[in-house]
Amino acid sequence: MIRQYFAILIAKLVWKISTLFNLGAGGTWPGELALAIDPFLLKKLAQKLKGTIVIAGTNGKTTTSLMVKTILEGAGFKVISNSSGANLVNGVVSSLIQISSISGSLNGDFAILEADENALPAILDNLSPDLLVCLNLFRDQLDRYGEVDIITEKWQKAIRKLTQKTKLVLNSDDPQIAFLGKNASLKTIYFGLNDKIGQKKTFEHATDSLFCPSCGSRLKFSAVYYSHLGWWQCLKCDLKRPSPQIFNWDSPLPGLYNKYNTQAAAASAKVLKIDEAVIKKGLKRVRPAFGRQEEMEYMGRFIKLMLSKNPAGFNESLRTALDLKANNLLIVLNDRIPDGRDVSWIWDVDFEMIPASIHLTLSGDRAYDLGLRIKYSGLKNYLLETDLQKAVKQAVGMQVAGEKLFILATYSAMLDIRKIISGKKIL
Amino acid sequence: MNYKLTIAWLYPDLMSTYGDRGNIYCLTRRCQWRGIGVSVLPITLENNKQDLKKTDLIFMGGAQDRQQRVAADDFIQNKGPILKEMIKKNIPALFVCAAYQAAGHYYKPYQGDPIPGASIFDLHTEHPGDQKQRLISNCAAKIINPTGLKGITIVGFENHGGRTYLGPKMKPLAEVLAGGGNNGDDGFEGGICRNAIGSYYHGPFLPKNWLVADWLIGRALEKKYGKEIKLSLLPDSEEKQAHQAILEKII
Repeated sequence: MIRQYFAILIAKLVWKISTLFNLGAGGTWPGELALAIDPFLLKKLAQKLKGTIVIAGTNGKTTTSLMVKTILEGAGFKVISNSSGANLVNGVVSSLIQISSISGSLNGDFAILEADENALPAILDNLSPDLLVCLNLFRDQLDRYGEVDIITEKWQKAIRKLTQKTKLVLNSDDPQIAFLGKNASLKTIYFGLNDKIGQKKTFEHATDSLFCPSCGSRLKFSAVYYSHLGWWQCLKCDLKRPSPQIFNWDSPLPGLYNKYNTQAAAASAKVLKIDEAVIKKGLKRVRPAFGRQEEMEYMGRFIKLMLSKNPAGFNESLRTALDLKANNLLIVLNDRIPDGRDVSWIWDVDFEMIPASIHLTLSGDRAYDLGLRIKYSGLKNYLLETDLQKAVKQAVGMQVAGEKLFILATYSAMLDIRKIISGKKIL
Repeated sequence: MNYKLTIAWLYPDLMSTYGDRGNIYCLTRRCQWRGIGVSVLPITLENNKQDLKKTDLIFMGGAQDRQQRVAADDFIQNKGPILKEMIKKNIPALFVCAAYQAAGHYYKPYQGDPIPGASIFDLHTEHPGDQKQRLISNCAAKIINPTGLKGITIVGFENHGGRTYLGPKMKPLAEVLAGGGNNGDDGFEGGICRNAIGSYYHGPFLPKNWLVADWLIGRALEKKYGKEIKLSLLPDSEEKQAHQAILEKII
């Protein structure tokens, strides 16, 4: 008890100091210290809540978290969550400490915690959530995360150690994710899409899980939504897509990927025994999360900012922007640590879908790599500006009144653009 | 005369993890821009050997471990021996990253038995154990073989745990300027045997190293039509800019 008290006290102190001096490490540092003092702190803090929900997956964590949060708040609960920059164990602890009193009591009913793909096993070692939501797994920052199959194996092991308290919410349409429920003894609910709209018969190039997670044979897909998400079955070992119990809930946000996020959120809320009418109402109130289709205004023009950081997500962002009749597009590619150092993945993105008539501006640390990629996609007309501030201004300048500028940006670029738009300096 | 090439893309659904498609885009576009007819023939598990024999230029990319295991049997038993024959007859080829390793004699993991390769290239790879760092970074090297490309720089991104050692039948492709190269020790990157190149610079190797792409196209035409065919020059400003930007970033 004294240990816990001391851990929280120190962490809160560090947090205060780092915000006071604007040290910028307030998201993770306090948690790191607190865990060093009391290794069981996360477990202890989480026990004080009505429930904890951990959300994992390559794409859609932040939006799904926000959806679940909005639904639960609509049901009258007080919900706390971590920000996506704080999705390792230390960040999760930091988030809880911020809302805990010195004595360790928490001012909230539910905690929704986004988990980084690599950090999920460590987070699950530290706490047994009531709900574990697994959205999808796509290739993303292979230099940092490693390959999809390796992550799946780690997740499988971590899930095997969970107690009956945890219920799984899994995507039926992602073969590797659905397979996580196959041998788990935990109560599992599947979500997926049963809608004919948006179905395709063929794959895009960026797919990762086309082979049976059980026997390794090529899977047969009778329908594809995007990347390797669809209606799959193995003809050799009879493993097949489980029928989803949750599907076809109306998405409050554009894009096929948000349809999946919506089903995941609705499934989570159902497991938490939230009334269907309350879920529906909650979903309607959802607004875009930070940098995820976020709408902003700059120099009197409208901007839609879409975080796009891996081939599957980037293709979906592009498709959504084009569906929304985008005519002005700014693409920003950085290669800093949070973006991944390796930008090879841009060759797996289907830039070929961009029509020649679009106004296209390219920027970022690796603007020249983008320029080369665009050249080989066959598009001839684009503007390349390595200075991000100038690039945003130029792109906005090309805009016809009433039109929107769609910005697709990697993580650090998305943060910089938000700063530019809000008039803050970028470092 | 209307020239025409068929490019074999080996295992596009299995060995294609890091933007490897960029190499195919680069080769096809650079043919098309010159009026050379070009088609791509995807060769995967279900294709038979005869399909492969009809092609003029070979490409095989990198993969995740599981995907590589799925492809391994077919590669070693079916496609590998044909590829070996083709390369002996001077058909040009490019093997990057995991394909470069798999084209060697074997891969020896830190623990366990060696995993056999297709023995197309005279080389082997060893994993030095978890204690040794993976070689992950932007990288650059200067080509020493073949003579037609000698002295030009190549740039890319490498990400590999295995250390590769060349045998006597394999010449090193380049001298490392930045990064780990084949094994982090001997200062060489990649290898070449006749007109077949192997490199650790993974994924989209050719777009930023367009002269290597042109060299491969040139060798393919030469082999198919039995004479030297001069390729017309292309405006390569985007290629040069992207290449230069990496050199400036790391050297």
